[in-house]
Amino acid sequence: MSAPFDGRIRLTIVGGFLGSGKTTWMRHQLHEKTFGHVHVIVNEAADAPVDDALLQAADQMTLLAGACVCCAGQEALQTVLLTLCDARSGAADRASRLENIVLETSGLADPAAIASLIQSHPILVRQIVVTETIVIVDALNAQEQMQSETLCRKQIESADRLIVTKTDVTHPGHLGQLCATLTQIAPGAAQSAASFGSAMILPDVPPCVDPFPLLPLDDQDDVPIHAVPLDLGPTPDWTAFTVWLSALLYARGDQIVRVKGVIATPAGRLLLQTVRRSVQSPEILPDPDTPCATDNVVAVIGRGFSHDQLTASLAHFSA
Amino acid sequence: MCSACGFPAAPGHWTEAGAATPHDRLRERFRRMQVLQKVLKGSGVSVHDGGMVPGIQVMSASGAQTIVPDLEAVWGEVEKLRGHVIDPFEL
Repeated sequence: MSAPFDGRIRLTIVGGFLGSGKTTWMRHQLHEKTFGHVHVIVNEAADAPVDDALLQAADQMTLLAGACVCCAGQEALQTVLLTLCDARSGAADRASRLENIVLETSGLADPAAIASLIQSHPILVRQIVVTETIVIVDALNAQEQMQSETLCRKQIESADRLIVTKTDVTHPGHLGQLCATLTQIAPGAAQSAASFGSAMILPDVPPCVDPFPLLPLDDQDDVPIHAVPLDLGPTPDWTAFTVWLSALLYARGDQIVRVKGVIATPAGRLLLQTVRRSVQSPEILPDPDTPCATDNVVAVIGRGFSHDQLTASLAHFSA
Repeated sequence: MCSACGFPAAPGHWTEAGAATPHDRLRERFRRMQVLQKVLKGSGVSVHDGGMVPGIQVMSASGAQTIVPDLEAVWGEVEKLRGHVIDPFEL
């Protein structure tokens, strides 16, 4: 991994749908130093980022929050990459030259668009080579996502390597069908599995296993998924918030694709993350030296709701 | 699972992660009931948690009752007793 590749910087793109486990996987790879000496670029579509707090093991990191780098945030990504290229050109010695970049995309990004952005840029194409596109696939939710989200299929199609996560909590039969479906969508992509970043074994799929039925999807039918920042104020009422959120996920878990944010409570700073209706046990983050501006702002990502709707309904529970 | 690369997870159900001491936990349970009772007012379903035994008691107007383990399970039980879900956007 650390050997130079024809002199250009090697870029690995890590993509995957919202809540598929990209950051969890990345966090373990950084801990294990899989990528060696690496500059990590983290992109989050939401304005209140949390992934950077989880990837502190990275040697160097740049955070691009507030826009997806495959579309609205393209310019910001180009600027960061050009700055890294410049710094590398001016490096005093070979040992300090940057050789590897890993870009963790937002869950709303199409990795192929990022690869073609670099290919079509007159400077970046001579400085950076995309060596691998890794796409993380959520074993629990992938079937529904592939059947309803054009973007999820595009992400899988663009992969060189597919890493299936949450396999430890997925029925082996379902996993077999999922692998068959992934082979159908991306026949050339290598498949492997991981649980909390650690490698797992995927079951051998006999040829008789049928993939999930996939209907053609029309881009035009997709109502875009958006990220709405929800400010809980300086002293959030955790209890009222959880009564509200549990009710909301129960009633509208198909629309609320992802919720994430750091909330200050008497029990510490809690990192809350949901994927559809499932909620991860909150992680207790260490207290920062200086107050973090994004604490108590929760990103609600999905479709079919507005900021006003969220605040009004939460206020009804909090009052 | 690798225990070295993450932060510690709050024990118990996620909705109960906001309290770390027994005192805070009890206060949170009573506050949870206060919020739930307000939200469920007029729905035909009521809830009760005396703070002594684990779980939340969910009761219908006709007297049917059950104990659920946590807040998340309350909404499924409320739907069963009422016949339709409580939608926070429609309250």
